[in-house]
Amino acid sequence: MTDSEKTAQQVRMCAACPKMCRHVCPTFFAWRSDSPTPHGRALLLHHDNLGLRQLDERAVEVIYQCLECSHCLTWCLPEIDIATIVEDARRILVSQDRFPKGLETIRSSVLSNHNPFCEPHEKRVAKIRFKKTKSADVIYFTGCTAAYREHGIANASIEALKEFGFNVSIPDDEWCCGSPLLRTGFTSEALEQARHNVEILNEMSGETILTTCPGCYRVLTQDYPVNDLRIEKPVMHLSQFLAKHIDKVPKGNLAGGVTFHDPCHLGRHCGVYEEPRLVIERITGESVKEMERSRDNAMCCGNGAGFRTLFSSQAKKIGGERVRQAALTGSRYLITACPFCRNLLASEAGETLEVLDLPELVMTVLRKR
Amino acid sequence: MLDGKTKSGMAERLASIVGSDNVTLLETDAVLNAHDAWPLSEAKIRTGELLPIADVIVFPETAQEVAEILAVASEMEVPVVPVGGGAGTCGGTLPIYGGIQLDLKRMDKILHIDEKSMLVRVQAGVIGIELEEEVNRLGYTTGHTPTSLRASNVGGFIATRSGGSMSSLYGKIEDLTLGLEVVLPNSKIIRMKPMPRHSVGPDLRQLFIGSEGTLGVITEATLRLFPRPELRRFRSMAFPDVHRGLEAIRRIFRDGITPSVVRLYDPEDTAISMSNHFEIQDGDCMLLLAFDGLREIVALDEEKAVKICLEHGAKDYGEGPSKRWWEHRYDMYYPTELTTSGFSIGDTIDIVAPYDKLETVYYSMKAAMEKHDAFVMSHFSHMYQNGGSIYMIFFTSQRDAKTAWEVYKRIWDDGVAACLREGGTMSHQHGVGLSRSTYTEDELGSAFLVLKMIKAILDPIGIMNPGKLGLGVKE
Repeated sequence: MTDSEKTAQQVRMCAACPKMCRHVCPTFFAWRSDSPTPHGRALLLHHDNLGLRQLDERAVEVIYQCLECSHCLTWCLPEIDIATIVEDARRILVSQDRFPKGLETIRSSVLSNHNPFCEPHEKRVAKIRFKKTKSADVIYFTGCTAAYREHGIANASIEALKEFGFNVSIPDDEWCCGSPLLRTGFTSEALEQARHNVEILNEMSGETILTTCPGCYRVLTQDYPVNDLRIEKPVMHLSQFLAKHIDKVPKGNLAGGVTFHDPCHLGRHCGVYEEPRLVIERITGESVKEMERSRDNAMCCGNGAGFRTLFSSQAKKIGGERVRQAALTGSRYLITACPFCRNLLASEAGETLEVLDLPELVMTVLRKR
Repeated sequence: MLDGKTKSGMAERLASIVGSDNVTLLETDAVLNAHDAWPLSEAKIRTGELLPIADVIVFPETAQEVAEILAVASEMEVPVVPVGGGAGTCGGTLPIYGGIQLDLKRMDKILHIDEKSMLVRVQAGVIGIELEEEVNRLGYTTGHTPTSLRASNVGGFIATRSGGSMSSLYGKIEDLTLGLEVVLPNSKIIRMKPMPRHSVGPDLRQLFIGSEGTLGVITEATLRLFPRPELRRFRSMAFPDVHRGLEAIRRIFRDGITPSVVRLYDPEDTAISMSNHFEIQDGDCMLLLAFDGLREIVALDEEKAVKICLEHGAKDYGEGPSKRWWEHRYDMYYPTELTTSGFSIGDTIDIVAPYDKLETVYYSMKAAMEKHDAFVMSHFSHMYQNGGSIYMIFFTSQRDAKTAWEVYKRIWDDGVAACLREGGTMSHQHGVGLSRSTYTEDELGSAFLVLKMIKAILDPIGIMNPGKLGLGVKE
């Protein structure tokens, strides 16, 4: 059986499933309709595969109403990976010039500015405080969101790493990792960014490449190699690096209780669950108060795969629900390890819950000492 | 199906009630919303057949909006098919005559939890698992845990007169529903207030529990709550045959023991469901038991039940098979490569009979169904003091779709005929929908006239879910 035949068989099964994962699908939560659901997307693709109904404009919208969070996969006994199947479908739609035009800004901005936010490339590191160094222990690949929207994360990361005795360098000419484009079907445009990043990262000296963005981490460690792009240094998410050097992280304390939101790209997509918790527990002196839905059952924050750009009110609704779930733990702090998640969750959190990214938490505790 | 002009005119009127974001005329939405959990629908989806679709789908948020929608439908004489989770297994939400699919998923509020009276008031569109998790947080359970819990919702539970896997102890949805709000086809919103019981004439709630959207739209319910049990214990006993297993069950109830779970698997179902995980002698029938409650009472009930089973020739398998079933109780609902390949189709005829007829019904149905090239396996579950249900599960795989659907129909026809002939009732908890619609008159006999008269009074135009429950079938 070929890969495409196997995928068609999986789509066929998912299309006729009695909706065993729908209750955890964040887009079902947002719309409360059977259209933006895993089985809904599969049914459209099944009909298209059979030549029964081609994807019309609404079907294309439904295909793009997926966060690719893979929460459905956690609940799928036959292990049907709808996020990947949706992404494959998006690639075809892009090749047919049938993608939602709301994504055009992201695409063109990444191509011309190397970030999806239409910000000037030359200002990429303008808000990041760092000194150029020739011999670095670690290269910090900031990612677009930490560079332009959540520079507090970038600065806290650099400060924390320095505090723990590591020399940090930042690429002079980092481009978007390509994640927003890969997740929405713009493969060739993404690979243009990727090739550049691989070239500059391989030229830099440093033992390890660190990311704070799980989207970047997934792309650098999974999508680049799949496309024969090899980074010649180990790539780690900051949480993994700090967990590896946990003895350098001081034992701290932080009152009020801490809960942790697992980013989809870090958790379900890359299998990193324990490391951020280890760091949180070390630096706060407290056990993580787990949400009812955590680790591979964590709800998506609502920000990813082009979703917030296209469907901002639904993204906020999903983020608001995740904040509500965090508040149920009674924690003062909602920690995540993703600039994307941090950004959306913080926008929906009220006064009672402080949302911090992992390095921000570390520096918050260190500054209080 | 309606013509384009009528459709768009109707959609405009519906949009003025619920907002334009909550009405759709798009064919893609109609196709996706038609998807239910009737095995025949699922098999047709797999083989590339389109299911019947609605002309328009509307998503109300309040009972008042539902009332206004029904006013438009009545005036335009357009069919209305209420749909909740879309998880029904009998085709009850398929819009076979087009019209409006009235989707209740946005009516998803848990309105009030009354801990003193142990009641929860909810809108009809709350999904079962959402409700169960919410009351669990406060230390309660609804006691209603059908296998479709993740997909079905409160309105669907009530509309189909459903039963959960622990119905022996906690009761069925008709026992659990104390209050009800229904919108009638004439747009009147009626409320039956939640009371432990009453003696004010007939219990009108029961008229709508199981009405499958043919008499009105259920918009809100008040359900009972139970404290989460201090202890749940599992026990498994293997019997040499169905007869001795059933006799043991009968004795257990007769002796005043009420387990939360009672499931006796026939030799075929035991082999398929359990022999991969446990060493079981060919031909044995596994009985799965669970006991909920206070520690001392659970211990006593379990001890007495085990004694009865041993007296009826059972072998003790400890908690293993029963606990495994509990932990994997949703697994059988997932599609597998085997059960979905080619033109395969399986289904369950969930019948019910008193103890004096259970075995005869079982053997007669099995024989009738097996005549049609079907593999049949069964378990007796949802057992009570006076009898219980049989899940007559069948599976067939044919060379083409046409043959498969014909064989499927013959298995149903002959299976139900055997059930009725031997004194059973054709559905315990799945409802009637389309799959059993044509048998309703035979099932209810002279009482069917009453149902038809009620229908004629409440829904004189016949807009409510036509073709289901044996009512409003158009030639």
